[in-house]
Amino acid sequence: MTNKSDKYIISIMVDNEPGVLARVVGLFSGRGYNIESLSVSEVDSDKFLSRVTIVTSGTKIIVDQIKAQLNKLIPVHNLIDITQQESFIAKEYILIKIKKNQKNQKKTFDIANKFNASILSDQNNELILEMVGTSLNISKFIKLLRTFGIIELTRSGLVSMPIDSSFIKK
Amino acid sequence: MIKKITGAKLLVECLINEKVDVIFGYPGGAVLPIYDELFKQKKIRHILVRHEQAAVHAAEGYARSTGKIGVVLVTSGPGATNTVTGLTDAMMDSVPIVCISGQVPTHMIGNDAFQEADIVGITRPCTKHNYLVKDVDNLAGAIHSAFFIASNGRPGPVLVDIPKDIQTFRTNYEGKTNTKKISYYSPQVDPNKDSIKFFVEMIGQSEKPIFYVGGGVINSGPKASRLLFELIKKTGFPCTQTLMGLGAFPTSDQQALGMLGMHGTYESNLAMHQCDLMICIGARFDDRITGKVSGFSPKSKKIHIDIDPSSFNKSVNVDLTIQGDIKKVLKEILNLLNKKKMHFQKQKYSNWWKKINKWRKKDCLAYKNSKKLIKPQYALERLNELTKNLCPYITTEVGQHQMWAAQYLTFNKPNHWMTSGGLGTMGYGLPAAMGTQIAHPKSLVIDVAGEASILMNIQEMSTLKQYRLPVKIFILNNHYMGMVRQWQELLHGNRLSESYMESLPDFVKLAESFGAVGLRATQPNDLDLMIKEMIEIKGPVIFDVCVDETENCFPMIPSGATHDQMLLGPNDEFEDGISEDGMVLV
Repeated sequence: MTNKSDKYIISIMVDNEPGVLARVVGLFSGRGYNIESLSVSEVDSDKFLSRVTIVTSGTKIIVDQIKAQLNKLIPVHNLIDITQQESFIAKEYILIKIKKNQKNQKKTFDIANKFNASILSDQNNELILEMVGTSLNISKFIKLLRTFGIIELTRSGLVSMPIDSSFIKK
Repeated sequence: MIKKITGAKLLVECLINEKVDVIFGYPGGAVLPIYDELFKQKKIRHILVRHEQAAVHAAEGYARSTGKIGVVLVTSGPGATNTVTGLTDAMMDSVPIVCISGQVPTHMIGNDAFQEADIVGITRPCTKHNYLVKDVDNLAGAIHSAFFIASNGRPGPVLVDIPKDIQTFRTNYEGKTNTKKISYYSPQVDPNKDSIKFFVEMIGQSEKPIFYVGGGVINSGPKASRLLFELIKKTGFPCTQTLMGLGAFPTSDQQALGMLGMHGTYESNLAMHQCDLMICIGARFDDRITGKVSGFSPKSKKIHIDIDPSSFNKSVNVDLTIQGDIKKVLKEILNLLNKKKMHFQKQKYSNWWKKINKWRKKDCLAYKNSKKLIKPQYALERLNELTKNLCPYITTEVGQHQMWAAQYLTFNKPNHWMTSGGLGTMGYGLPAAMGTQIAHPKSLVIDVAGEASILMNIQEMSTLKQYRLPVKIFILNNHYMGMVRQWQELLHGNRLSESYMESLPDFVKLAESFGAVGLRATQPNDLDLMIKEMIEIKGPVIFDVCVDETENCFPMIPSGATHDQMLLGPNDEFEDGISEDGMVLV
C-alpha cells in the first residue's frame, strides 16, 4: 500500500438545507482531515441540491475514509472522486486588484493577454483583473503581478468535473 | 377535510404512529405545549427522570433491551445540553434514539434568549442526524424521517429541535404513510453476491479460523444471533466476542472463547493473534480490541462484515469486505454453504483447537480467593450462579467492575447486556437499568456498579421510587476509582492522584432514604444469602458489596502492546516496559 500523500478533488451533491456546509466542514475538522480548497453553490433549485467541491490531501486510506464518512452524512446524496476519473477539468476563478502606473501598464497588459485575463475595472489608479484557470496557472499569474503591488485578491476555490462519461448523480 | 392540529398535537400523533409507548423526559418552558398534549392522551407513558442525561441513558437501556427506538423529550437550553453525553454514548454504541428538544420561538433564535442553546449546532457531531424545524408543515416529515434514520442502516441518535411557536402553529397531518420524508436516506442492506462467494472460498481454505463478533450482530436483531449460532455450529469454528457483542453468541458455549481485547481472555487474544482467518462480524477493530495496530493479528486474512462501510479499513486493513445488514449477509452465507453442501471436517481444525485448549488451560480468569475479604470476581461469580436461571438483564457503569462483569457473568442471549462501550460513560448503568426495567417490568434487572460511577447519576433513585422500579444495584465498593488506580499503579509510579473515593455516603441509608432496601456485605460468607435476599425483595435494592480494595483487573494488554503481550496477573511484568507511545494512549 502507498503511504504517499496526494491531492484529491471530491465533488459532493448535497441537500441545500441549513447547516449542511457545517456538517461537511465539521466532519473534516472533527476528524482532523485537511481542506485545501472548498467551493459550494446551489446547482438545482427545483430539487434544492447544492454541489460542494473539496480539495483535500492524504494517503489513499485516509481519503477512502473521508469519502466513506462523507457518504454517511444524511444530506449527502452522492459523491465522486474526480481525481480517480480518467480525465477531468479543474478550474478556479480569481479577482485581483493591483496598482496601476504608467511604467508597468504595458507589462500588465502583456501578462493579462498571456493568461487570457480581462480587465474589469480601471479606476483611481487601480486595475481589477479576472481570470479563469488551473490552480497552477492562477498561482503563476499572481506571482507575476506581485511585482506591481497587489492590493487584494480573492479566489473561488476549485470547481471540477469529469470529462469522460462519468458524472455525479443527483 | 382534515382538521388542522397544533404542532404539539401533531408530534404526539406522530409518536403514536411510530408505535412509541414510553418517553423518557423532563419538562420545561419550551416544551410545555407538548407536555400539555401528553397530559391529554393515554397511549404514551411518560417517565419523569431527574436529569436529562439519565433520560437518554434510560432510553438507551430501553432500546438495547428491546430492539425498539428509545425516545427522549427535553426542554431547550440546559435541558438539551444535558443530553449531549447520552447522545454521544448512543452515537458511539450505535443505539437508536430519537431525542425531541424544545427551542425558543423561531423569531427569538439567535438572540441569546432565556434557555436558548444552539443544540442543533452542539449535537451535530454527536448525532447521526439532527433537525431544527422552522416550519410547522415540515414537522411531521422531520419526525418520521428521524425515526427512519435512527433505526435504519447503522443505528444512532437523531435529535429534532422544535421551537415553541412551531408547537402552537396549526397544520394538517395525513398520517405516517402519507407524510413525505424530508431526508433522502437509503442504506445498502443487501450484500453483494460475489462477496458471499469469496467469503465461502476463504473459509474453505483456512485452517485456523476465528469468528470475532460485535454489537452489530445484536443491532441486526435476534434473528441475526440465531443465524450466527447456526453458522458457528455448522463450521465448528471458535468465536470471540467484543464487549458490545457479548450475548450475540452464547458465552457458555464450548466454541465461545470469551471476550477479547484489553481485558479479554488469554485464549481469545492469542487465537486472534495466531489465526489464519479472522471473520469480523459487526465489530469495528476498536483500539480496545486491536492493541498496537501494527502488531495486530499479523498473519491472518481478514473478512469484515458490517452495515457501515466507513468501518472498513478504518484502522485495520482487511482482505474482504461485505456491506449489508448482518442477518441478510448471514442468511446468504448459510444458503450458499447449504447449496454447495460444504462440510467442515473436524480433523482439519483439530490442531487449531488443540492449541486453543492449551491456552484455555491457563485459566486466565482464575484469581486467588480469600476467606476474609470479598474478592470482586467472587462476588460476580456468586451473582452469576444465583441469578443465571432467571436470565437477568445486566447493565453496568464504567470501570473495573464493568470488565469483571464482562468476564465473570454468563451472556447466553442477545439484548440482555447493556454497557457503555465506546464512550465509557460513568453513570450509564443506573438509568440504563431503569429504562430496561420499564421495558421488562417482570424481569430481574441488575446494575453492576462501582461506588464512584453510581454517584454520577444517583439522583435516579428518586425515579426508581416514583415508578416502583425494582432495579437491583450491585455495587462493588472498593473505595477507589479502580480502573484509574490500576493505571496509576501500572503507569504512574503508584501515585494515586485523586482516585481515592473520600466521604462516600452510607449506601444502606441512602437506599432507605429513597424508599429502597439497602444491603451490605463485608464477608465472603454473607454473599449467597444476601444475593438471594436481594432477588426476593420486590422493590429496588442497593447492595453495597465491600470488596478487596486492592484487587486489579486481569488479564490486561497494556497500552501500546500486542495480543501476545498480555499481563495475566499482578506479578506479571511487561517485558518491554510501557513504551512512550503507549504512555500517551488512553
